[in-house]
Amino acid sequence: MAKAASGRSRTVKHVPEIDLLPVMNLFCCIIPFLLFSATFLEVVVIEMAATEGISSSGGGATANLMRSEEDRLQPKIIITDQELFIGTASGSAHVAYAIEIELNGEMIISFPWDSLSMKLEEVHELLTEAYPQIDFRKITVLTVEETRYDNIITAIDLAGAAGFDQPGLQVAPTASVTSAMAAGGGN
Amino acid sequence: MSAPSKRHVPLLLGSGKSVAVSRGKDKKVTLSLTSMIDMFTILLVFLLKSYSADGQLVTVSDQLVLPKARMETKVELKLEIQVNNSVIVVDGDPLITVTPELLNSGNSIPVLVTRLRDHLEYSRLSRGTLTDDDMKVNIQGDVGMPAILLQRVMASCSEAGYVGQNLAVIKIIASEGGDD
Repeated sequence: MAKAASGRSRTVKHVPEIDLLPVMNLFCCIIPFLLFSATFLEVVVIEMAATEGISSSGGGATANLMRSEEDRLQPKIIITDQELFIGTASGSAHVAYAIEIELNGEMIISFPWDSLSMKLEEVHELLTEAYPQIDFRKITVLTVEETRYDNIITAIDLAGAAGFDQPGLQVAPTASVTSAMAAGGGN
Repeated sequence: MSAPSKRHVPLLLGSGKSVAVSRGKDKKVTLSLTSMIDMFTILLVFLLKSYSADGQLVTVSDQLVLPKARMETKVELKLEIQVNNSVIVVDGDPLITVTPELLNSGNSIPVLVTRLRDHLEYSRLSRGTLTDDDMKVNIQGDVGMPAILLQRVMASCSEAGYVGQNLAVIKIIASEGGDD
């Protein structure tokens, strides 16, 4: 053993190194496997209530809402190409006006969804307080023929977040939707 | 085989250490793998988080863009109907071309009803009986399709006997927001 000039022995300690190569090999196997099986976009579903065909006059769309007390109280989101309403068969209230936004160079109709979200929560709270015996989970989206699919889905999504998680869809011509709202009182 | 010249620095891997012979001297230089291990660990955690044991049950067509929603209901393997502004596809089979005439009424589409009934009948014959799950259908719709087209497809499903109709959407992650 080497001795220093001072006479003390100088020992050199060798710290054992961790062999990282097996870990690297393991990672190199796991990572490609996980990359292949990873799902970055998760597809989920919205369960819809069964829908029915409607006549060209759209009469069935509004008649179906009058079936029972629960149906009478069942809220509906009415989407036209100009306005967004919410209400029941006994009345409807204006929520927001349509806005035009540009998407991929194309002008499309959208709505201020925050307003609808607030109104839906308000309506759900009011209905639950007024009729505690009824479980308000159904909602109908009544819309005109030209409404874009993503607008319908957004409305259904917001309704689900507010507690109306059993959506239905009814489509009617603009004139029928307008007359249905007029018959409902529009307040 | 000649010995490596001093100009070439061979990387000697697999001997328990990652070492390289330094140029001009006999010292061995250790290659530090720690930073790479760190990176791999982060990558591994991220991939494990996005790993799905179920795999991708639904194949989303390139021809359509699914809308986004915050729903939580998992998709199940069902008969798939894909709808966009140009064609209606049932179970991978292009069935109907979307024309302006098709968008004129809100009733069911006879061709689609027949095709769906056939499929339901095939399921009944092959399994002997029909369960509730057999009477469900997944509808993949393009964000830009009009409501009347969706109405007609859904009405056709109802008429054919598919009482459960699921609309496929892309799940919005909570941190992503919902403004898009």
